[in-house]
Parts: sequence; structure tokens; C-alpha cells
Amino acid sequence: MSVLSRREVLKLGGAATAAGLGFPVVLRAQPKEIPMLGLWSFTGAFSDVGPVLDRGMKMALDERGMKIQGKTIKYITRDDETKAGSATRRAEEAIDADGVKYIIGPWSSGVALAVSEVAKRKKTFHYFSGGTEDISGARCHRYSFQWAASPYTAAKTVVDNFMQANPKAKRWHLLVADYAFGWSVEKYIREVGKGHGIEFVGADRHPLGEREFSNYVTKAAGNKPDVVAMINFGLDAVTGAREIFNFGLTPKVPLILTWSSGVEELVQLNPEIRENMWVGSNFYYTADTPVAREFVKSYQAKFGNPPGYAPAAAYGMTRMMLHAMDKAKSTEVPDVIKACEGLEVDDLVGRMKVDPKTHQTLRPYFFMRCKKKEAMKDAMDFADIIATGSTPLPAEYAACKDIGSL
Amino acid sequence: MIGEPLRGRPDERSGIKSWVAILAAVVLLPVFVRHAIATEIWIFAIFGLGLNLLMGYAGLLSFGQATFFGSAAYVAGYLLKYYGVNVFLALGVGIVVGAVSAAAVGYLCVQRSGLYFIMLTFALNQMFYFTAYQWTTVTGGEDGMPGIPRPSLLGFDIHRPLAYYSAVAVLFLLSLWVMKRIVESPLGKILQAIRENELRAEALGYNVPRMKLVAFVVGGAFSGLAGVLYAMLFGIVPLESIGFVFSGNVVFATLIGGSGSLYGPVIGSFVFIWLSESVSSMWARWPLLLGVAFVIVVLFFRGGVAEAWARFWVWRAARRAPGPVQADASR
Amino acid sequence: MGEGDDIVNVPLLFSQILNGLATGMLYALMGIGLSIITGVLNIPNFAHGALFALGAYFLYTLIQLIGNFWLALLLAPLGVGLLGVLIEYGGIRPLYKAGHDYQLLLTFGLSLIVTESIIIVWSPVGMSQLPPPILRGGVDLGITFYPKYRLFVMGSAALLVLGAWLFLEKTRYGAIMRAGIEDKEMVALLGIDIHRLFTAAFALGCVLAGIAGALTAPIRGLNPWMGVDMLGIAFVVVALAGLGNLLGSIVAGLLVGLAQSLVALVWPEASVAVIFAVMAAVLLVRPQGLFGIR
Repeated sequence: MSVLSRREVLKLGGAATAAGLGFPVVLRAQPKEIPMLGLWSFTGAFSDVGPVLDRGMKMALDERGMKIQGKTIKYITRDDETKAGSATRRAEEAIDADGVKYIIGPWSSGVALAVSEVAKRKKTFHYFSGGTEDISGARCHRYSFQWAASPYTAAKTVVDNFMQANPKAKRWHLLVADYAFGWSVEKYIREVGKGHGIEFVGADRHPLGEREFSNYVTKAAGNKPDVVAMINFGLDAVTGAREIFNFGLTPKVPLILTWSSGVEELVQLNPEIRENMWVGSNFYYTADTPVAREFVKSYQAKFGNPPGYAPAAAYGMTRMMLHAMDKAKSTEVPDVIKACEGLEVDDLVGRMKVDPKTHQTLRPYFFMRCKKKEAMKDAMDFADIIATGSTPLPAEYAACKDIGSL
Repeated sequence: MIGEPLRGRPDERSGIKSWVAILAAVVLLPVFVRHAIATEIWIFAIFGLGLNLLMGYAGLLSFGQATFFGSAAYVAGYLLKYYGVNVFLALGVGIVVGAVSAAAVGYLCVQRSGLYFIMLTFALNQMFYFTAYQWTTVTGGEDGMPGIPRPSLLGFDIHRPLAYYSAVAVLFLLSLWVMKRIVESPLGKILQAIRENELRAEALGYNVPRMKLVAFVVGGAFSGLAGVLYAMLFGIVPLESIGFVFSGNVVFATLIGGSGSLYGPVIGSFVFIWLSESVSSMWARWPLLLGVAFVIVVLFFRGGVAEAWARFWVWRAARRAPGPVQADASR
Repeated sequence: MGEGDDIVNVPLLFSQILNGLATGMLYALMGIGLSIITGVLNIPNFAHGALFALGAYFLYTLIQLIGNFWLALLLAPLGVGLLGVLIEYGGIRPLYKAGHDYQLLLTFGLSLIVTESIIIVWSPVGMSQLPPPILRGGVDLGITFYPKYRLFVMGSAALLVLGAWLFLEKTRYGAIMRAGIEDKEMVALLGIDIHRLFTAAFALGCVLAGIAGALTAPIRGLNPWMGVDMLGIAFVVVALAGLGNLLGSIVAGLLVGLAQSLVALVWPEASVAVIFAVMAAVLLVRPQGLFGIR
């Protein structure tokens, strides 16, 4: 290898050093700046959502002209690599070296728990979009907030509305991801199901990351259910739905995806697989609120496709954080936290209120029905929203007994 | 084959110069680089030293070093988190767990040679990984084990990044010194002999499998130390720390640095961590560059950066002197 | 586990056995391909999983382009094989003098390159590939209802395995390849171009990995890391069978597939780890594998 190429390599290296490592002194935020961290996945299992989460948060910040309370917003992103370890590192780095005090993200629940620990330790404001109950439950603390609806809300919305559309479907088979979150949703579905006289003819738990769903499908089919309800997410949900179709169970028997990200999962399937699929989600782009309509319109104009859950969540969380800053008339973390507790606004998905006791956002959950191929107006027209529900988690189930102090 | 001294390799003769360079690096690094990244570089270097004893000196390509790194991290992390043990105990436990798990894995692997050995180290790593993945009650599974504390060391509070960096840097220098003594000892020579010609070493009366096992255990001890330090650095034991990608990373780093030299893993750790931190924030697909860099190193620069650096000096000397090149004079 | 759960549940057991055979056949294909490469070239091909994934992605794109599943199923593995030729010629062969370790490390680096390239070309989002219409839905086997496509995979994988075996046992080229596994020097002395043999062996291994991937796509869908688990399992199959032992790879593949699906019935969480544990146990007792002789 000639020396010339080595020089080029060194040059690139020099540029990379300057860009990537930098000098801590220079990067520390000026007093008139508010650094905010978007902790997204650009590599790893969820690397497809990183770029769109980034879009969502940026859109919400741009709406304010990158300014809040007279200060300039400095928006930085870091790749959590969909890994708890990397997320912890990058979040800490951003806090120590860049002076970040506000963190939005990450996408994955497991990773979020680790980040939540960092937020508590470093006293930074943290808003998270996933479903794990722990953040507003057993591991609650003053610094983390949860944007997604409670799994109880999800279960109630799904079961109530499905039964309304299919009153005769009394025999349910459940396919649950073997994970604390899965168990919670299962518990709530059974609770709500009692009121409808549902008979749970079968329930199987599958390990996270399961690739081989065939045995679960065979068992499900063997129980001759009226409906199969899946409580899982991401690749597990997609793989499960695909297998259930391959075995010929759907579309004869309806399939419910209880907790879906909506577009992100549905796009990985085909119209044939989606037929007779019923989907519960925290956001769908045909949501009929002024904020959502505006958001979907600009997103579609900018990027060509309608937004899925990821960009909407990033957008929504950022807006909630900014609303809290408005209410507090300050950008100091303790003030914003206090303002966020009890915050009530009409925002992206409708009426949204932050429960001060658990930091859970109480808001509507969507229930949709997927369209047949012929009824789809375009490639992204997956489903229609048929109902929303916002029944909050009853107090007796709340695992957050004392959210603690700042 | 792996680890063989290559043309122009900088060797341990330039001992004093190397030590000065490394000391300078240790002192100056935190000035230019974020403390957490700097700490990670030395931790990874300790990890690499462990692998290099196997790969560079014994000629054993181990693709499962993360087994020992991760196991130590989990066990020590568990004790730190739930039993509040002190730092010395945690480090000691880490070293022991690393050594013991290496003994177990090594025992299975050293009986086989060549391809089987390599495939076995990989497959056993996968077994440990999937066990950690599924044993969520203990390891936290995919979420990892967060909330690892960093208790004070000898009364010093090491929470602040710079304080922890100093502690880790001292441990690294210590590890480097210990490894230097090991490779210069009879054990080191025997391992190199085994690498050169296993049959001859056996004919000379050395218990080859036993020696390999010893190398494994020592390498495992180093990996374990690195594992505990890693857990305390980020306050979390992530699942990846016991995974194949991590095993692969240390192989990449050691090879890129130069497996034929004691300092190769140190250079490699530098290059690897620095690249992965800086390039990954610019381009999400940076592993592609890593793969390409690796392929280039394997095809053209098998001695890694260490060799490339030495070759550069030889080249320069050849340019200056019109006559035959004195390979030594330029060093 | 679940309600209504009964291990002596015959339909469930039967379909689990079928599942095990289907995945086992795919494992056997992967095992044979890897065994040929390891046997002839003496390097464990760390890129084998990534090539498996590539086969699936080639299938997907070919179907988009030409609309015909069968043609795509034929061409996709050939594409992977062609890539194999390029890899062997451009990467592995130049490293012949440097030794096996470096050739192996090359495949390791390549696996990273292939996986990242897949993400760049096709995106990291998972995709679905439906089976051709004629193979959709299920068939009533009396005891249980089973998807047609999986039966097809079982059948075609079995045919391919048989074909590979026949090629290696009954044809001249196959004999040369087997001889190459046994004794390379002798083969070279007999005047056979050892380099062409290596290229052919590597390409054949890649073709088999590619077709395993292509067949899997409609069952498991596509995602860039679909080859990662496959690599480990392929290693297990080869280690169990004994290097270069082709019949052994078939049996070992089936055993692993069956073990996995039967363990999944009683202890789903351990179904992956158990494969590696079994391998460790077998190698402890019989280091040359179940059927190996060297």
C-alpha cells in the first residue's frame, strides 16, 4: 500500500476525529442553548425506525423554530444500536459531554429501562414511547414519563370493540410473548374478557425472538377458536401473523394484534396475510384530530409516505415536553417535571393528560380493521380506524406506589 | 499462520520506547477523547491482551472470548448490584470467573485442533449467549443487567469519569506488564513453539493440550478482568457483552492492531474503539467499513497496524539510502 | 405453558415431527454445503449464514423482477454461487500461502460486508415473501392440518440432499471432490487442478446455502440477520457429523431439527441453547463427531 493512500487514510481519520470525538470543552452547550437528545436506533434490530423517529422529533422542534423560552434548542441524536449497553453509554456521554438535560426515546422497551436508570441517576428529563409497564409501574421515578397508553387501556379498547363487531366470537386463543409486558396484557385481556363472557380456550407463551411459530399455530388451530389474539410486537408479531396465514388459519379465523406499532409491522406483511386482521395501536395515520391531520399532511408532503407509530410518537413526545416547558415558563428540569405532572392538552391523539402519580400519559388507544386487497386505495392504505378507547388503568393494578422525589 | 513474526515487525527489543509511548498515551488520551471512550479503549485493550495470548502467541484462533468477558461481567455485576461487594472482591471474582469459564470451555476445545477448535469456541459462545438471553430472571435477558454500582476504591470515589479512567488506566498498565512477563517467560516461549510446530513441541516432551489450556485460562482471566471493568464503566451488563459480535470485535481489533506483537491489541483497541465511536455517529452502516478494513488487513496487512507501521519505516529507509537497506537502522 | 396442553397430544406431536423434519432438511442442506467447503478448503466458512440470507434476498428481488417463483428459485442460488466463485478467486485463493487462519478470517470479514450490504440495498426492514399460489394454504393429512409450502420445502430439500449425495458419490467430479477432502496432495499429484477444485467446492457450498435461504424465505420472511442463527446451527451440524462427512451431515441435520422442535414442546426457552449443549456433550465423548473418522 503506498504512502499516498496512508495519507488519505490519515486525513479521513483526522476529519473523523474532529467530527466524532471533538473537544469536550467546545461541545459543551452555551448558556442560551438547550441541548436535547433524541436517542434512536440507527443500527441493530430496530435500525429502520431510527431515521423516522429523528424526523418526528425534528418536525416538532422545527414547529417552534428551534427555540423555547427564549433559548435555542440544540438537537442531537445518538444511536442506541437497539442495545441497552450502547444506549446507556451514549446517553451518559451526551449528558456529560454535551450537557443534555432532555432525552426522548429510545424505541425499544428493554433499552428504555436502562436509559430510565441513567435519567434517574443523572437527573435528566426522559420521555419514552414504548409499552413496558415498569416505567410507570414498579420502576417509576420522577424523571421518566411514558407516552404510550397503558396496556390496560389497550386491552380494554381491543376487547370491547372487537366484541362489539363480532359478538359471537366467544372462544379466544391467546399467543403471548413470554415477557413481563406480555403477561400484563394477557392479565388485562382476561379481566376485560370476563365481562364479555369470553372463554379462553387456549393460551401459549412464546419466547421473545421466536422464529418457529408452527407449533404454536398448530396448537391454536387444534383448539378451534373463534379468534386468535397475539400479544407480541415487532418481528415476533410479523412472523406469527405470517405463520398463522401459512397454516390457513386466517383469514377464516380473525387475528388480533393487540399491541402493534401499526404501519411499521403491517408494511412487512402482504394484503393477503392482513385480511381479517384487527389491530390495536397507539397511533394510526388516519387519526382524526387537528394536530394529527396537520402532522400527517406535512409528513406526507415532506417524505412521501404517511407516518407510522415511530415518527408520530417522537413528534408527540417532543410536543408534550415543549408543552410542559410552556406551562412551567422555564427550561429547568425540576420545573418542567412539575409542570408535566398533571399536564392536560388536546394533542396528537386527542385529549392527553399526564398522571402525576405514575407519569403515564392517559390518552386514547386506537383499534383498526385491516382492509382487503381490493379495498386498498394505495399500497399504504392498510386499515381503517373503527374505534378508540381511553379507559385508564384502575388504581388497584398500579404498581407505582411512590414515585419518589426529585 | 496467525501471529508469526512478519517482516519488519516491531518487537520487544524496543521496550523502553514502547513503554514511554504507552505511558504518554495513557496520560494524554483523556485530554483529546471523552473520558468514557478513553476508559473503554483501555478495557478493550486488556480484553485484547487476553485474546492475543491465545491467537498471537499460541496460534489458537478463539472466536468465543466474549464467553469469559460476559460471564465475569454478569457474575461480578450481580454481586455488586445485589450484595454490594467492594471493588476488589468484584475484580477478583471477575478474574476467577473468567479463568474458570475459560478452563471449562478450554477443556472441551483444546482436545480438538484446527477447524474443530475454532468452530467449538464459536458454538460454545453461542450456548452461553442463548443461556444468558433466556435466563431473564438472573441476567435480564435482552435488557441486560442495569444498575451496577461503582463503589469506592480504597476510599477514593471513582464515580467521576476521570477518576474511573485513572483507576482503569493503572489496571491496564499492570495487566500489560503482567502479560509482558508472561510472554517472555518459559510459558510464552512454549506457546510460540506450539504455534510454530505442534508435533515438534510434543516430541520435545511438552504436554501440548495442557499448555493450551493454561493459555486459555490466563486469557480468560484477562478477559474476565476486562468484563468487570466494563460493567462498572457503564453501570450495565448488556447482553452483547457475552455475544458473538463482541468476540468478533476483539478478534478484529487484535488483528488490525497486529497479532504478532505484544502491543498489537493495544493499538488495535485504539483503532477499533475510536473508529466505532466516531464513524458510527457519521454513518449507521459503519460495520461495512469495519468489514472492508478487516478484509484489507487480512489480504495485505496481516501484521496489522504494527506491521504496517514498521514497514513504513523500512520503506522510508529504502527511499533515503540509495544502497541496500539496513532494516535495523531506521528503528 | 398453555391450557389444553398435553404432550401425548398426537396431532401436535405429529406436526412437531414434521416441522422438525422440514427444518432438519434445511439444516442438512446448510450442513452439506458447509461440510464441502470445510472439507475441501479446510476453512469454516463464517460467511455461510450471510450467504444463506443473500439467497433469500435474491429470491425476493428476482420474483419482483420476473414474477416467476420457480425461475427465481433456480436463479437465486446460482447468483450466490457466482458470488462464491468471485470470493474464492479474489479473496481466498490469494491467501492460500498465508494459511487457513487468514482465509477463515476473510470469510469472517465478508460475513459483515454481506450483511451490511443487504441492509444498504434492501433496507433493514423485514419483508414477506408469499409462496407461489399453488403452494398456499394447507393440506389435511388426516392426523393434522399442515401448510403445503412446508411439505414442498421438505420434499425439495430432500431431493436436493439426494442430488448432492448422488453428485458426490456417483459422478467423476464428485469423486474428485471427495478425494480432495481426503487427501489434497494426492489429488494434485494426480494432475487435477487443485485451485479449480477449491473454487468449485466453495461455489457448490454457496449454492447450497443460497437455496436453503431461498426456500426459507416464504416460511420465515426476510430480514438481514436471518443467517446469524443459521451459522451456529450449521457449525453444530458439521461438528456433529464430522468434517467432510456428507451422509453424516444429513443425519445430523435431521437430528438437530427434530431435537429443536421436540424440545420446543416441553421447554421452549431452551430449544436453541440445547442444540449447542448437545454438541458439546457429543464432542466431549466422541471428539470426531457422531460419524466422523478423523
